[in-house]
Amino acid sequence: MSLTHLNARGEAHMVDVGDKPVSQREAVASGRIYMQAATLARLEAGGMPKGDVLATARIAGIQAAKRTHELIPLCHALALTKVSIDFHLDAAAGCVEVRTLCRLAGRTGVEMEALTATSVACLTLYDMCKAVDKDMVIGDVRLESKRGGKSGDYRRPEAEEAPTPLVTAEAAGIGMAARPAQPCIQVKCLAELRERLGVGEVAVLVDELPSNDVAGLKAALTARDARFALLGEQRVLCAVNQVMSGEQAQLTDGDEVAFFPPVTGG
Amino acid sequence: MIRVQTAPFDAGAEQAALTAQRRDIGAVVSFTGLVRDFNERPEVSALTLEHYPGMTERALADIVAEAESRWPLNGVRLIHRVGRLAPGDPIVLVVVASAHRLAAFEACHFIMDYLKTRAPFWKKEHTAQGDYWVAERTTDHDAARRWEAS
Repeated sequence: MSLTHLNARGEAHMVDVGDKPVSQREAVASGRIYMQAATLARLEAGGMPKGDVLATARIAGIQAAKRTHELIPLCHALALTKVSIDFHLDAAAGCVEVRTLCRLAGRTGVEMEALTATSVACLTLYDMCKAVDKDMVIGDVRLESKRGGKSGDYRRPEAEEAPTPLVTAEAAGIGMAARPAQPCIQVKCLAELRERLGVGEVAVLVDELPSNDVAGLKAALTARDARFALLGEQRVLCAVNQVMSGEQAQLTDGDEVAFFPPVTGG
Repeated sequence: MIRVQTAPFDAGAEQAALTAQRRDIGAVVSFTGLVRDFNERPEVSALTLEHYPGMTERALADIVAEAESRWPLNGVRLIHRVGRLAPGDPIVLVVVASAHRLAAFEACHFIMDYLKTRAPFWKKEHTAQGDYWVAERTTDHDAARRWEAS
C-alpha cells in the first residue's frame, strides 16, 4: 500500500480529490484525559475556577474540526455537515473520555477532523482544569470508525473487555512497579486509597526510610509526595507481607507493604 | 474449603458436597449474602468487589481456623465473589457443618462477623448519580467484638 500524501518522487503533496465521487462520510474518534479522582469529582460537580469545563471543551473541539486544514499541512478544507462531541466521565478509569463524530458529503474522509477535534477538546479540558491538577495526562487519541469513501468502512477491532482489576497495581498511573536492584520495600495502595492517591504500586528504597518500620515508610513516602500524608489518617490500615500490622512493624528488603481503607466485604 | 472467585456459586451444590458420604454431621447452617439495590444511596445498579489476592485467602483461612478451634466442626465451605455484581447476585457463602446445631449456628455467625471486619475486600457501589466506595459500619465492628468478649 502506498502513502497517498507522497508523490512518485517521495515528496509531500496534496491529493487531487476532484475526480473522486462525492459520498456520505463519517468518522468517530476518541481520546482520554486522565486526572486525579478529586479533579474528576470537582469537574463533575461544576466547581472548576474557569467555569463550565465541558461546554468550553465542546466548543473548542468543534472549532478545531472546522480549522483542521489550517493545522495539518496536506488536509483539504472541508464543509462539515455535523460535528458532535460527547464527554464521558469515567471514575473507575480516572479519566474523561472524549468522543467526536464528524460527518460530511464530500470527496475526502473526515477522520483528521475527528482526531483534531478530539485532541483540542482534550487540550481545552487540560487548560480548564490545570489550576487544580497539573499531573493530567492526555492519551489514547484514536480513530474508532469511519464510513464512506473508496478505502471502505473501518472499525477499530473491539478490545477484549478487560477483566475488573482485582489488584489494581497495573491500573495505577504513577509509581514504579519494577523492582530496583538496591534494597527496597514494595508498597501497594488498594481500593479507595489508590484512587485518592492516584498511585497503585511504588517502590521505596530502604535507604530512604528515616526508621526501618511502617512509620518510617509513611514518612519517606510523604517526603517524596505530600499526597501521601493521607496515609497518616487514622482509618488507613496496613499489612506487612499480607499480615495486618501497626506503625511499629519492622521492615526489611523485599517486604511487601499494603495500605488500604477499612474492609467492607461480605 | 475456601474459594475467592468471580463466577456465581450454587449454595445447594456446595452444601451437598460438604455432607456427601458423611454420617457424623447432625447440623448444617448456611448463610448466603446477596447484593442489595439500596445501601448508602438508593438505586444501586451494580457493585464492584476488589480484594487483595494472597492476603484474602490467608485472612479467610485464619478466620476458618479460628472457628474450628472454638467449636467442634465437621466441615466449612467459604466462598466469596469478586468483580462486578448486580443486585440480587450472591456475594458470599458460608456453610458450616457440625454434630449439633448450636456449634453450627454460632460458627457460621462468627465467620461472617469476622469476615466483615478482617478480610481484605472492598465494595464500590455504582448508581446513576455516580460511584462511591462503601464506608465501614460500626455495627459490623460491634458484632465482631461480641465474639472477643465471650
